[in-house]
Amino acid sequence: MALQAIAFYLLAAVTIGAGLLVVTARNPVHSVLFLICAFFSAAGLFVMLGAEFLAMLLVVVYVGAVAVLFLFVVMMLDVDFSALRAGFVRYLPIGGLVALILVVEIVAVSASVASHGAAAGAAVLTPSHDITNAEAIGRVLYTDYVYFFQAAGLVLLVAMIGAIVLTLRHRAGVRRQNIAAQVARTPATGMRIVQIKSGEGLSE
Amino acid sequence: MDFYGALQVALPEAFLAVSALALLVLGAVTAARGAILVSVLAGVALLVAAVLAAVGPLGTAFSGGLVADNASAFAKVAIYAMSAVAVLLGAGWLERLKARQFEYPVLILLAAIGMGIMASSGDLISLYIGVELQSLALYVLAAFRRDDAKASEAGLKYFVLGALSSGLLLYGASLIYGFAGSVKFVDIAATVHAGAGTGVLFGLVFLICGLAFKVSAAPFHMWTPDVYEGAPTPVVAFFGAAPKLAAMVLFARALADAFSGAADQWRQVVIIIALASMLLGAFAGLVQKNLKRLWAYSSIANVGYALVGLSAGTREGYQSMLVFMVLYMIDVTGFFACLAALNRNGKPMETIDDMAGLMRERPGMALAMTAFAVSAIGFPPFSGFWAKFFVFKAILAAGYVQHALPVGLAVSVAVVGLVSSVVAAFYYLRLIKVMWFDPAPGAVDAAPADAKGIAYAAALFSFPVVMVGLPLLYPLAGVAAAAFGLG
Amino acid sequence: MISEHLSPWVWFGLTFGQILLVTVILLLATAFLIYGERKIFAGVQMRKGPNVVGPFGLLQSFADLGKFVIKELLIPDGADKVVFLLAPLITVTLAFGGWAAIPFAPGWVVSDINVGVLYLFAASSLGVYGVIMGGWASNSKYPFLGALRSAAQMVSYEVSIGFVIVTVILLAGSMNLQTIVAKQGGGFWHWNILGGHGVLGLPMMLVMIPMAVIFFISALAETNRPPFDLAEAESELVAGYQVEYGSTPYLLFYLSEMLNIFLMCSLFTVFFIGGWQAPFPTPFLAHWPATLASLFGFLWFLIKTLFMFFMFALVRAVVPRYRYDQLMRLGWKVFLPTSLVAVILVAAYRVFVPGV
Repeated sequence: MALQAIAFYLLAAVTIGAGLLVVTARNPVHSVLFLICAFFSAAGLFVMLGAEFLAMLLVVVYVGAVAVLFLFVVMMLDVDFSALRAGFVRYLPIGGLVALILVVEIVAVSASVASHGAAAGAAVLTPSHDITNAEAIGRVLYTDYVYFFQAAGLVLLVAMIGAIVLTLRHRAGVRRQNIAAQVARTPATGMRIVQIKSGEGLSE
Repeated sequence: MDFYGALQVALPEAFLAVSALALLVLGAVTAARGAILVSVLAGVALLVAAVLAAVGPLGTAFSGGLVADNASAFAKVAIYAMSAVAVLLGAGWLERLKARQFEYPVLILLAAIGMGIMASSGDLISLYIGVELQSLALYVLAAFRRDDAKASEAGLKYFVLGALSSGLLLYGASLIYGFAGSVKFVDIAATVHAGAGTGVLFGLVFLICGLAFKVSAAPFHMWTPDVYEGAPTPVVAFFGAAPKLAAMVLFARALADAFSGAADQWRQVVIIIALASMLLGAFAGLVQKNLKRLWAYSSIANVGYALVGLSAGTREGYQSMLVFMVLYMIDVTGFFACLAALNRNGKPMETIDDMAGLMRERPGMALAMTAFAVSAIGFPPFSGFWAKFFVFKAILAAGYVQHALPVGLAVSVAVVGLVSSVVAAFYYLRLIKVMWFDPAPGAVDAAPADAKGIAYAAALFSFPVVMVGLPLLYPLAGVAAAAFGLG
Repeated sequence: MISEHLSPWVWFGLTFGQILLVTVILLLATAFLIYGERKIFAGVQMRKGPNVVGPFGLLQSFADLGKFVIKELLIPDGADKVVFLLAPLITVTLAFGGWAAIPFAPGWVVSDINVGVLYLFAASSLGVYGVIMGGWASNSKYPFLGALRSAAQMVSYEVSIGFVIVTVILLAGSMNLQTIVAKQGGGFWHWNILGGHGVLGLPMMLVMIPMAVIFFISALAETNRPPFDLAEAESELVAGYQVEYGSTPYLLFYLSEMLNIFLMCSLFTVFFIGGWQAPFPTPFLAHWPATLASLFGFLWFLIKTLFMFFMFALVRAVVPRYRYDQLMRLGWKVFLPTSLVAVILVAAYRVFVPGV
């Protein structure tokens, strides 16, 4: 248990520390890198809970795909860091106040949910050793929740169509590669042998 | 219920989803050439889905996520039919624009699926997913003319504020789930009946705020005028109508199915929202020059009237809300079809002054617009009168007969509603005056047949067809309203 | 694989020892892999390749190591120092980390986790960070362009790799790598590349052989190997994201590139050609001592992985570099739809064909 405790406190501290640094880092690229670090430690916390499938999904989806694109965009943007941070001190008190209220609310709500809400009296869930995480999720996701699963898929489809509709431009006069035509080319079709008379050249 | 039974219950949505996918592939393969074909097929698919929704089996499927009852059938028929009209209107518009994009009908199909999910949602997850599916498609449609600065602005504004409202919705949903211990409306209703704690009510208020955003009720209306003004007119004709009904049905369902035990608490909130919407719609509309903005404020006021019916909290109130929304949907679609049809020298006529002399130029269109304006005032015997009549009757009956709310409150809500509709009459009358009596500045272009047809049909409906339709519609809405789990 | 019932500190020590062992062996192996690759490359071009340091030039890599280590560490002016140095470290850590879940032989795996496939997928998808961070932190044009290119490339090919892996998971019914390998036992006709279910499953090889090919090609793209080495395309970008690197940081990049390639080879072995399973039925192994049986398995694993490495090296030597639009076209328009269809086919096969 000592090892687990050490691992937990380490991961939790790194998550929170990285979270703080996301907001306070001077350079937005560093902010994104700290965000990735926070994701990664959160995935570690998931592993400690026995939710290894979720942990891996967090890494694959958020760290491996979402944050990469994020980093991409932030790196490409030419952001004036000093201008961005000009109002930081001015807005610090009100930002801190909002954060404080949020913390108090989260604590209050989770405390009351735990005492007489959804979690009241519910047994603590422990990871089962009979079936793996992935199987446990799959069993409900594709049966009880198949409707939501499919509907959520449609939401993503709409997002994809939207992105294409709003950004794709068909430029005229673009010559695209036609692999079939290239492969089908033979010496007979690809080459023309011409006899050129001296002093006349070839008009074409 | 086994999977095939569940699939039968979900048949309209499943059919639409499969059609949307198939049409997407068809459109991608045929590109610009097939745009018209895709539009026609999308319209047919929507009509088929409407029929399926009307005749399909009722029941609850997918562990309570999908509820097919009379209310959802009623709403879906109306929603799918109006979406089909929007596909028709949009197809003609895109054709004239020479922008044959097949994504337009597909997006409307997907939005219609979202609205179907909303209309028959049985828990908080399907509520949220339905709202998101519908809204995402609408954001894209609003910005569909991406080269137009106003349309892009409208799309972006709609998206940002819509995302905010989704956040409110989710926040409320998570609070409700946390305190009620379930996402299913049935379980939430049981918890609320046993005594609603502050936590659940807190969540409910957030949920109401999020939904008020989606129906554009004051004080969550700020996106409406800008989006109506910026978005293309046929798109506005679409999202001024069907999504409003879907969101109202969802509103009704959440309040009745899950929170009937807390009717006294939510009634206060809904009444405040309704009063604010009616007054704001009436007074802010007075200073508008642009007709699309004007009708945006008009829609805010009208949503206020519908919410009055909802706030009665009785079966009759729900019935009147459904009737109101259906009548309003037809009016608003017709009006925007008129706007889509009217051009002067190739430029759309969008301000009140543009309409000058329309009576001499295009008497047919002018008559249709007059019908819509008169109907919006609530002048008997046009459809708008009947819509408002039933709503006020329901709230007064809730006060005097059923004693669901204090008589004084019921009377004052009705009085505020009447006052605001008298104030709003001013701007509708001004539009009529400009059309009929002001001199025309130039020739109006010929109206395209599709938009003209829709406009005339809607105008004929607002009077005299409504006199025939209403005796059919009203009892149907009554059957639908009986399906809500009112206490 | 260690029992969970040991005391925590003993468990910690044993695990640590295993990690150390694997790391050292991998480092040594890499030295000779680099030598081998250069020999193959040279052979294709009818050169001799490294042949000076040690017998047959076998110690060439160690000489290179010495050269890299004693060179001066240069950090460009204006570079983001921390990120610049972090990039190769992250890359090499991930390259080693992936090996934790690879089953070398029956019972020989550092961490026998249930989501092993996802873990490896995650580790390989994180590899892109080293490239992006290195390219950005160099504060220089070519590295940045190279980083952007390679990030887009790696993210694109991850998608099809993911779908290919899904087909394998569907066939095996598990995400545990040991289970995936164990299911392929009993002869080469049980290997996933041939359908994975013995003689009756052989028709599925029509799907799985293309999947193996897609995996192989995507692995090349994922590791930025020729013909997809657009990140470093020396004719266009000098050396891509590595331009500003020298000395030990460059060594780390180079080392992790080799490790990643070798990891992909072993993954191909595990997913498609039976991992440590011999290509014939091995009922006699039951009578062997466990260690000997494991060694027997390890031998097969090594042979197959080295064969795959040979293929990788050969591709580098004989295939010309792709153009960027061709690369993207191949990934999104060919591999992605093909692998998606394959996922549907395999899923349908698993659901509707009885007895598999």
